[in-house]
Amino acid sequence: MAYEHVKIKHNWVLIILPMISLLVFFGGWQLIVDTNIIPSTMLASPSSVVRLFIDKLTNPNPDGAVIGVHAWMSAKEAVTAYVLALIMGVPLGLAMGWFTVIRGIFRPVFELIRPIPPIAWIPLCIFWFGIGIWGKVFIIWIAGIVPFTINSWAGVNMTNPTFIQMARTYGATDWQIFTQICIPSALPMVFGALQIALAYCWTNLVGAELLAADTGLGFLIEMGRRLAMPEMVVLGMVCVGIGGAFIGVVVDLLERRLLAWIKR
Amino acid sequence: MNAKTVADEVIKPVKERRELSFQAVITNEYVLYVVSFVAFLSIWHYVAQAQILGKSLATPYDVVKEMRRMMSLELAGNTLFGHIWASTQRILIGFSLGAAFGIPLGLFMALNRHVNAIVKPIFDLFKPMPPIAWISISILWFGIGEASKVFIIFIGSFVPCLLNAYNGIRIIDEELYDVVRVLGGNRRDEIFQVSFPAALPALFAGLQISISIAWTCVLAAELVGSRSGLGWIIVRGMRLTRPELVLGGMVIIAIVAVLFSLAVSGLERLVCPWKRKIAGL
Repeated sequence: MAYEHVKIKHNWVLIILPMISLLVFFGGWQLIVDTNIIPSTMLASPSSVVRLFIDKLTNPNPDGAVIGVHAWMSAKEAVTAYVLALIMGVPLGLAMGWFTVIRGIFRPVFELIRPIPPIAWIPLCIFWFGIGIWGKVFIIWIAGIVPFTINSWAGVNMTNPTFIQMARTYGATDWQIFTQICIPSALPMVFGALQIALAYCWTNLVGAELLAADTGLGFLIEMGRRLAMPEMVVLGMVCVGIGGAFIGVVVDLLERRLLAWIKR
Repeated sequence: MNAKTVADEVIKPVKERRELSFQAVITNEYVLYVVSFVAFLSIWHYVAQAQILGKSLATPYDVVKEMRRMMSLELAGNTLFGHIWASTQRILIGFSLGAAFGIPLGLFMALNRHVNAIVKPIFDLFKPMPPIAWISISILWFGIGEASKVFIIFIGSFVPCLLNAYNGIRIIDEELYDVVRVLGGNRRDEIFQVSFPAALPALFAGLQISISIAWTCVLAAELVGSRSGLGWIIVRGMRLTRPELVLGGMVIIAIVAVLFSLAVSGLERLVCPWKRKIAGL
């Protein structure tokens, strides 16, 4: 045999280094709080965050709800707005890419609204919707609809013109070209928007809840600051991080399933 | 021109002229732009005038009038331009710091496995946390002064800068390195001749993302607690229930944000003119 089995050498240094790095990070964090280099009124140690987390699982004080309720509220707002943005933004973007009339009607309004950071809508939302769930849904919806529309639009624009010309040669109508050539070829871009929009929605969710809410993870963070409880702030941040990462993984799995189905 | 051989022929784009009819005019894209814009403003005006949403919406004319008034009148010791400058200053400081730390670290991580093994796990912990979630803790640490705002903008622009620098180097075509090696280059040549220039477009995409996140961050920080800046104008309008102030602030934010992103793409065209247009970035 000309081939030789080569044993793949595991580079142990590269496997151990990340663990050491994490250990040093958490150890150092615990240490600087325990030894009062940074006073515990400013930074909570990891152990106190875990303790508060276990306590908050059942104890609604001092901010009025257990952590499950906060997380459920945030998730509900984010998912509602995300789905609304998806079902409105994607068709709008696809249509804007292909039909000049629709582009002519919607583009100026879209370009006016696009550069305004969604956070800037918060005061108007408080005027219009109060601090209930719909104000936040509106802000997150604005945040999500922009990437969905832009990516779908760009996806249709990137369709290979040869395909369109070929379809024209065979006598396809505009509508047939749109549904059978432009939409399938735009799908990868649309899927790309799923993750972008998600990250954007989640960021603005926290912003909206910091300013106008009575439950939710952003509210937990804000209450932690008002009550000067750094462990509550850190707990809120950790929950937001884990929640964002979790929804990201779910969307990624969905995306793979759908793409596999399309490529079949 | 009379072409003698095939080689003399040139391709000329021919413009197709459509007959000028009522339908052609009404479905023309640019005519529709104007129609849509006017319709948007009139619906806005009507809704505000008829007070369908109560007193919480100002007419476009009121907004423009309010903006003109703000230019000369002082609000909390600053005219409109003072507030614009206050926000811009925070963004410039935080954004430059974020880029100055994020880009080199990202490049290092992509070029050196050991640096990557040390930094990546910690970075992955912080990555999914939205920068806005840092506002409360940054107020605990730095108070409500300038430092806390700059810190949030720093965090917000640091993450995309680092990620794009890191990915920009990792997606480089391996063949480009082969060329350098065949021509007798060493590791240093690889880095300076291939890695850095090839990562530039991705770097600029990262800067573009950073600047828009920086705007979101500065607004959120100013909404939570400040005495100057465009976010403060909006909050002021909310507290006084004056929608024209809120809307005027939003319009100005949009204008300044667009100018910023134009500046970044202008810089990009200057620094890497070879970059082809990548749609969707």
